[in-house]
Amino acid sequence: MVLAHPQKCVACHLCEGACSFFHEGAFQPSKTRIFVHDFVDEAVYLPVTCFHCKDAPCLSNCPTYAITRDANGMVQVNDAKCIGCKMCMVACPFSVMGFHEEKNVSHNCDLCGGDPQCVKICTYDALEYAEVEPIEWMVRMDIAEKPAAAAS
Amino acid sequence: MPYGWTGQLLRIDLTKGAATKEPLNLEWAREYIGGRGLGTRYLYEEMDPTVDALSPENKLIFATGPLTGTYAPTGGRYMVLCKSPLTDAVACSNSGGYWGPELKFAGYDMVILEGRAPKPVYIWIENDKFEIRDAAHVWGKTTEETEDTLRAETDPSARISGIGPAGENLNRVACVINDKSRAAGRSGVGAVMGSKNVKAIVVRGTGAVQCADPLEFGRLVFEAMKDINASPTTSKALRGLGTASTVGFTNSVGILPTNNFQVGQFEQADAISGPTIATTVLRRNKGCYSCPIGCARVTEIKPGGKYSGRGEGPEYETIFGLGSDCGVGELDAVLYANYLCNLYAVDTISAGGTVATAMELAERGDIPQEDLAEVGTELKFGNADAVMRCLEMMSYPNGKFSRLLAEGGYRLAEHYGHPELFMGSKKQDFAAYDARGAKGMGLGYATSNRGACHLRGYSMTVEWFAPQDQRLDPFATEGKAAVQVQLQDKAAAEDAVGVCTFASFGATQPEKLFPMYNACTGENFSLEGWMQAGERIWNLERLFNNKAGLSRKDDSLPPRMTREPLTNGAVQNQVVELAPMLEEYYRLRGWDDDGNPNAAKLAELGIA
Repeated sequence: MVLAHPQKCVACHLCEGACSFFHEGAFQPSKTRIFVHDFVDEAVYLPVTCFHCKDAPCLSNCPTYAITRDANGMVQVNDAKCIGCKMCMVACPFSVMGFHEEKNVSHNCDLCGGDPQCVKICTYDALEYAEVEPIEWMVRMDIAEKPAAAAS
Repeated sequence: MPYGWTGQLLRIDLTKGAATKEPLNLEWAREYIGGRGLGTRYLYEEMDPTVDALSPENKLIFATGPLTGTYAPTGGRYMVLCKSPLTDAVACSNSGGYWGPELKFAGYDMVILEGRAPKPVYIWIENDKFEIRDAAHVWGKTTEETEDTLRAETDPSARISGIGPAGENLNRVACVINDKSRAAGRSGVGAVMGSKNVKAIVVRGTGAVQCADPLEFGRLVFEAMKDINASPTTSKALRGLGTASTVGFTNSVGILPTNNFQVGQFEQADAISGPTIATTVLRRNKGCYSCPIGCARVTEIKPGGKYSGRGEGPEYETIFGLGSDCGVGELDAVLYANYLCNLYAVDTISAGGTVATAMELAERGDIPQEDLAEVGTELKFGNADAVMRCLEMMSYPNGKFSRLLAEGGYRLAEHYGHPELFMGSKKQDFAAYDARGAKGMGLGYATSNRGACHLRGYSMTVEWFAPQDQRLDPFATEGKAAVQVQLQDKAAAEDAVGVCTFASFGATQPEKLFPMYNACTGENFSLEGWMQAGERIWNLERLFNNKAGLSRKDDSLPPRMTREPLTNGAVQNQVVELAPMLEEYYRLRGWDDDGNPNAAKLAELGIA
């Protein structure tokens, strides 16, 4: 999956451009599957994309079974089955489900077929493509909260 | 939708309160690339260059380029164009941040503001919806308060470009600030926005920028990203230390302007240098949209001292303007002055230059005591309190002296009978390179169409920054005209296409930039055609200026540059021999002796 190192991010949003360009053939950050949250006043820049959680809430909450896990462990949306109800977007604890207005389907990181463009374009090494086992979302949440608590 | 463009512009008649969409003139877009060039083309067509810059007859154009919003390295720039109230010449100020791309995503390549709103307003653009809204509640507010307020009442993801108190009060060096700290800095574009009673343009867009040849464009961009990371200038100096990385070098050779250019070395330079910033006040670095370099400094003044605050900066130019040029060597003071400039929205270069001019006038005894009394602290080099006070006075002018400060350095010096003490060209302050130690820069300052500017023809790159064996003699005059012509055309094309000049230090030299433009837009430029488009832009700007009443007399430098040698550093005993360089420059440009493009040149460039 794509791992982020927020301390190296500069909020240039190149990853969003690369993501939308690869998937949509045009530069359109509103259709990105990686999101850079830039908290300008706090100087916190946070790139975040799908973690393919072991217990993916998007998958278990999809009413049409459009979201499945593939052989590589990747959580994916089947466009043909997706009805655009956005339940997955509500369920995702990390808000990394994107939505394609024209197609009326949701979408998440698909690792660009094994060559993630966001990682490739990031000159700051803030993004990394790594083979890691998915973990439960709650465990990840705990990990995320620890440094945040330490910093506050 | 044409590739690289949204194909639409938004025209807002402020007097009538009417906004309309119209198609972009794609023929002009092709001839003038975009941004700076295309905006100038519209200005040249639509307005009389002789009008008062602060009258409703002036127009204010926000223009993006075809690469703005793409992932071309640094493809996030936009330009603000109008007739300048500072120089009475064409103004085109470039800014990064996120606003330019957002405008493209909203579906507009440009916004043209015309006339004058009867009362303060802001413009709210959300994709194909747009409205002119009342701005009474943010009028008088700083850029930060304005941005927070307007974002809260529009969209949390909206991007905002607007003015602070300085622009509202028609300060001639007021700038336009977007994303709280990115400035379309120079030539007083903020005053023109203020004169139109427009506080801000707030934009939210969810649309797309299309690309003609995605595979080729991607290939070129990924190659460029590798070049950026391989270049020590872009990946080490700028990313590690920001533009402030330059301080140590310019100071060591003696061209860091100090005390209104009276000397070229500053004793306290180390205290305000890139490494000092990086090890003390730097929180982290930041990039503008699509920027692989990340030179912006996000800083915070350490608690416990006299000043407090946080924001972005200082840039090298700011360290000079508010630091060495005013004799201020306390880093906290430079930071605080920088933050004030961002909040009030004044150009850090020209605000600093104005204060430095005032300081020299005061030290010489040219300003009567009753005028100086307004300052409330001694106006002398090294007095940081005086800098802060002057920044406040010029942004909220309410007395005679504060009103003079708000007029900028040239008019201030002229008022007190010493225009020669103003350090600039075309009434716009010099940037942070003393031209006596880099004579190409001297020619560049003098001939720059928007008044003194380091980025129009940044010959420092070849006069000092290049590796020793590739360097041109900075003290020579021969050959500098040719260098300036080439660099000016190069920069014009860069500004037009929507990328930052810094990217060209690592990746987007003209020979690499034009193929990127071709792949994005589907055009078929050659390198020659690309550079010629830059030349076309330069000549059109010159035509605008000539119609506005400027001529050879305005391609000048103050006597300090041409007659008083520097006395320290490696550059001592040098002055700028402007006349021979200017002769050669006009000849190479194909201009007559008065600096007008001749008919043959205009025909060659296809300028009607």
